[in-house]
Amino acid sequence: MAAHSVYSYLLLCNAITLLLVSPCCVGLGLDTVRDFLTREEDTIVFSLIERAKHPLNLPAYEEHAWFGPDGRRHNDSFAELFVRESEQIQAKAGRYQSQEEIPFFHSRVPFTLAPPYNFTTDLYPGAASVNVNDVIWGIYFNELLPLLAKNGDDGNYAVTAASDLACLQALSRRINYGRYVAEVKFRGDQQRYTALIGSKNKDALMKLLTSEAQEDVVKRRVEKKAMVLGQDITLDGPTETGDTNSGQSSFKVAPSVVYKLYDQWVIPLTKNVEVDYLLHRLD
Amino acid sequence: MDAGGGAGEQLSLSAVRDQLIREEDSIVFALIERAKRPRNAPAYSAACGGGSLAEFFVREAEAVYAKAGHYQKPEDVPFFPQDLPPPLFPTKGYPKVLHPSASRVCVNDAIWKMYFDELLPLFTANGDDGNYAETVALDFACLQALSRRIHCGKYVAEVKFKDSPQDYSPPIHAKDNNALMNLLTFKAVEEKVKQRVEKKARIFGQNVTLEEDSVNKQDGNACDSECKVDPKVLSKLYDLWVMPLTKDVEVEYLLQRLD
Repeated sequence: MAAHSVYSYLLLCNAITLLLVSPCCVGLGLDTVRDFLTREEDTIVFSLIERAKHPLNLPAYEEHAWFGPDGRRHNDSFAELFVRESEQIQAKAGRYQSQEEIPFFHSRVPFTLAPPYNFTTDLYPGAASVNVNDVIWGIYFNELLPLLAKNGDDGNYAVTAASDLACLQALSRRINYGRYVAEVKFRGDQQRYTALIGSKNKDALMKLLTSEAQEDVVKRRVEKKAMVLGQDITLDGPTETGDTNSGQSSFKVAPSVVYKLYDQWVIPLTKNVEVDYLLHRLD
Repeated sequence: MDAGGGAGEQLSLSAVRDQLIREEDSIVFALIERAKRPRNAPAYSAACGGGSLAEFFVREAEAVYAKAGHYQKPEDVPFFPQDLPPPLFPTKGYPKVLHPSASRVCVNDAIWKMYFDELLPLFTANGDDGNYAETVALDFACLQALSRRIHCGKYVAEVKFKDSPQDYSPPIHAKDNNALMNLLTFKAVEEKVKQRVEKKARIFGQNVTLEEDSVNKQDGNACDSECKVDPKVLSKLYDLWVMPLTKDVEVEYLLQRLD
């Protein structure tokens, strides 16, 4: 190549690189978002399977009076106490420094013990704290748990509460990831979104964010994951659950429950987060 | 422990085996989830003036578990037992099916060392993504699952002793560790366990898609390199560490069984 054209070629490469790699956009794109959400499906299914290991264990959710170190009387359920205290430890360990994680209970921690790390901030600051954790809490305990766990009490309340925490955190991370989905979509079509945000048109935004075909794929895939990950594995050839006509009872978590979870709660709530985020995107 | 059954129910070998088999799934899940994060070495280096973030987290988390009434059952053994707070609420009783000395049997130091020094490098990618808190929480889940499975050895030992006390009593009296170890070892069973846990890693760790050809994957024919954790790591884990440590627990329990 002649010197002149090499120079032009390099200039072109640099220009393209600069366009592709702006500081705030490194890493965040439709592909990374989709990969993240897909991987979270396994996490959610695993956490549901582990919770289903134990029966309902209702005493873990009844409120008890107890006295704190300051002598004050408190009224909490096992589960709530466990989640609060666990989140406090995780806060001290630096969990909530990452924008991906949002606690259910806010705890004031003056500092964390975590080694320092430069987290990227892909989200628009004015909208980054949008979340639906309150709704997730209610749905998990009131709607999902009765579908997941059999009646009974095995006394393993600590492990039960820990399993609940794992489910809650997985659901929270997946659903509140709607902020990242919204950010990517906004960047991909700024003009259209800006107009709708400006007019606070929630319905139109929701319509723009919805792809029923994509949602159907997600629901069917997560249902299949419940079948694959929740099956009983033995060394004797193909498992009985290989037959799609087999009853739901041969799985640790009924695949229909996981389908319903995504259909009625996970996907709609994620979109609520997306809309909410977008409505604050131009603040 | 579910193998203990309800009040009055006797401990049985099949109930204990079922429990161990179910624990395999928990262990595989826990490792798959930990493998989501890279090594994140800063979480394990000693911070100024104290232990690592991992140690801090486990100590604090165990205190919460203790307040919630955990660590009553023989298979639930803390890694840092000193100064654990008492339960805040009254706890449900459970049937006492083991010899009282069971509570003294603990191999958590060995499990801790094995997990951080040997196992973690085998299944986590090099790298650092800064998510240290989540990382150590995932480590704790792995440690707990491993500790629970291994300390179930107390139940295994009790069932085997009850089944043939005449075989176990002489070596117990003679404090003959080797003879006890031989009595407890069934190579055929161990081989099956290794194969099954490897199969679970292959199936649970696969990339599940809606494509038709993934029907094969339900039988565990997925390519190992696509798995979230290399299935061979699971069979090695069980072969080198889980099963030997479980038998150490069994021997330690049996040596005190006639006290």
